[in-house]
Amino acid sequence: MTSHLLWITPLVPFAAALLMLLVRSRRALAAMDVAISLAVLALTVAIARQVQVHGAVSALGVFRADGLAVVFLLLVGLLSVAVSVATVGWMRHEVGRGQMREDRLHWYFALVHAFVATMLVTVLSDNLGILWIAMEGTTITSALLVGFHGDKHGLEAAWKYIIVTTIGISFGLFGTVLIYGAAAHAQGGVLTGAMNWSSISAIAHRLDPGIIRIGFIFVIVGYGTKAGLAPVHMWLPDAHSQAPTPVSALLSGALIKCALFAIIRFHSIALQACGPEFSSGLLLAFGLVSVVVATPFIIVQHDLKRLLGYHSVEHVGIIALGLGFGGPLGTYGALLHVVNHGVTKALVFLVAGDGIGRYGTRDMRRMKGFLGLAPIAGTLLLMGAFSLAGTPPFSIFVSELIVVRAGIAGGRFVPVAIFLAMVVIIFAGLIHHVGQMAFGSAGEGAERGREALTPLLAMFLLAAVMVLLGLWIPVRLDEVLSAATGVAGG
Amino acid sequence: MSVELATRLIDILGGLLLFTMLLILAAGQLFRAIYAVAAQAVFLGIAGAVLAAATGNVDLWIIAGITIVAKAVLLPWLLMVVVNRVHISREIESVMPASLTLILAAGIVVLAFHLNASLGPVRQAITGNALPVGVTLILIGVLVMASRRKALVQMVGLFASENGIFFTAMAVSQGMPLIIEIGVILDVVLGALVMGILVLRVRSSVDTDIADLEDLRG
Repeated sequence: MTSHLLWITPLVPFAAALLMLLVRSRRALAAMDVAISLAVLALTVAIARQVQVHGAVSALGVFRADGLAVVFLLLVGLLSVAVSVATVGWMRHEVGRGQMREDRLHWYFALVHAFVATMLVTVLSDNLGILWIAMEGTTITSALLVGFHGDKHGLEAAWKYIIVTTIGISFGLFGTVLIYGAAAHAQGGVLTGAMNWSSISAIAHRLDPGIIRIGFIFVIVGYGTKAGLAPVHMWLPDAHSQAPTPVSALLSGALIKCALFAIIRFHSIALQACGPEFSSGLLLAFGLVSVVVATPFIIVQHDLKRLLGYHSVEHVGIIALGLGFGGPLGTYGALLHVVNHGVTKALVFLVAGDGIGRYGTRDMRRMKGFLGLAPIAGTLLLMGAFSLAGTPPFSIFVSELIVVRAGIAGGRFVPVAIFLAMVVIIFAGLIHHVGQMAFGSAGEGAERGREALTPLLAMFLLAAVMVLLGLWIPVRLDEVLSAATGVAGG
Repeated sequence: MSVELATRLIDILGGLLLFTMLLILAAGQLFRAIYAVAAQAVFLGIAGAVLAAATGNVDLWIIAGITIVAKAVLLPWLLMVVVNRVHISREIESVMPASLTLILAAGIVVLAFHLNASLGPVRQAITGNALPVGVTLILIGVLVMASRRKALVQMVGLFASENGIFFTAMAVSQGMPLIIEIGVILDVVLGALVMGILVLRVRSSVDTDIADLEDLRG
């Protein structure tokens, strides 16, 4: 079935971005920001409904939404609303502190919406070339946001980010070209839609396994760079720590998941072309390396936002592990983890932004007594940290448990053992760091102002989802995830 | 144009692309690396024209034209503007010894051609040796980026890498769809623009090369 919503949805934030360049008032910009994000969320929900009723929908021959796309689409929609709401209060505070220049605000808001628009195109594209173009578009827009403050560190992080991820995903383009070549060869000529995932995946079992293997290696290294899989994650802690906080939340919560989405699309092709061993094995290896590499950096970290950045490397690793263990269980767990980690990490970044605003530093050794300064945000910080560390009854515990069960069911005992050992170490490290920050009494320099309504509202929204998904998975979401698991080849 | 002739021409152009890549790798002066990458893009454009004539695919003519305008004129011009604006030293220092760089480059060439030989009948889908040449350009481009601590040379390495991808993409069963090629080139140009902005902003605020900043660690 065709659905015009597929191209309207990314067009809305893109048009809004252009419009915002003409607006100068902070209040008007913030109001537009929230309104557009709400519209995007409504559109993504509408697409999800269509997919649920009609199955996969497509538009213009290059866009497609199926169960898999819906999972990522809803995540992007939800996070863009939460981040927009949080930005209202955050921005007022930043402008007040002189961290943001009022005459450049329209650029900030426009870039954020262009960034969201490119992410939406990424997850909605059927054509693998468009997927790549949109992915590079996310880099271009978000690199400017990472370096938005214009200080030395921000620019260094922005440079590292754009240069590493651009060369990284050019590997992804090369992999795309090879797989497209294999598909065109198998069809005996270029047919319409030869670059579409749906048509390549329909003939995937006939593709030459040799070239798909080479192609998939380029794809996983390429999009893996963007997803933050170790050992090609070098840009991630820098960019996540230096970006303005709402942008950090989007980078960590949504963007790296979009890169994983691309990997899953290619993974499902490779599964059929080369058998279950090859691409799953690679995902397993990258996932395990990511979890192991992130652990020591989490333990010794004192910079709050860098800590969260390395933590994203770990969680992307867990998602890759789930996909690598494979089967319906592993894939389902991985996709649930995409949602859980996206929501929780965005929450913790927003809380972190509040803390950084109060203390004027990101060094956790100098951020004591956060609970006393901001009781509500402090409580949410503790909840978020326990969830990130994988404690029940929060949502991440559930998806990690599913991933572990998939590993055990598949007889992968060594990776599961290594994974569990790392999770225990990270638990200790994370709770130590966050405990240090939450308790004790705050120093003289810290800001003791009342907690602003808007970041709190956004935090409540995310925390509600986090707690809810820890207790029970709604039937609707379960249906979406099961459909996505089917598409991903689980 | 016959298929045999086209294959031979593509292989000759592939050889020229590799030669320009070695010039970039060996360049001791910034402007030489920029000229080399511009020459490489010209050869890439000619390869597009050869394939257009051989396959009769009109889109490839357009792609060849856009390639020359964007990659042989626009991007080198952008690099030159940045060079002239920032008055950086024009010497290129490598962080690894020249002998090691050359050994790695030779290893990449051997690996790429070995990889190609391992492929089955699907090789027919790609004209001549475009696949191993593409892989070689991509990996040597990464080598250039990793072994040089100068922002503009890293950009040259990136563009050379991308030339490798474009070369293979043109030779794969009549090339990618036109609209995709245009989108990709647009991304390349916009990306280069943003990189140029970042380099200039760092120059104007702290007066160092952005690739030399290394405060963010651990």
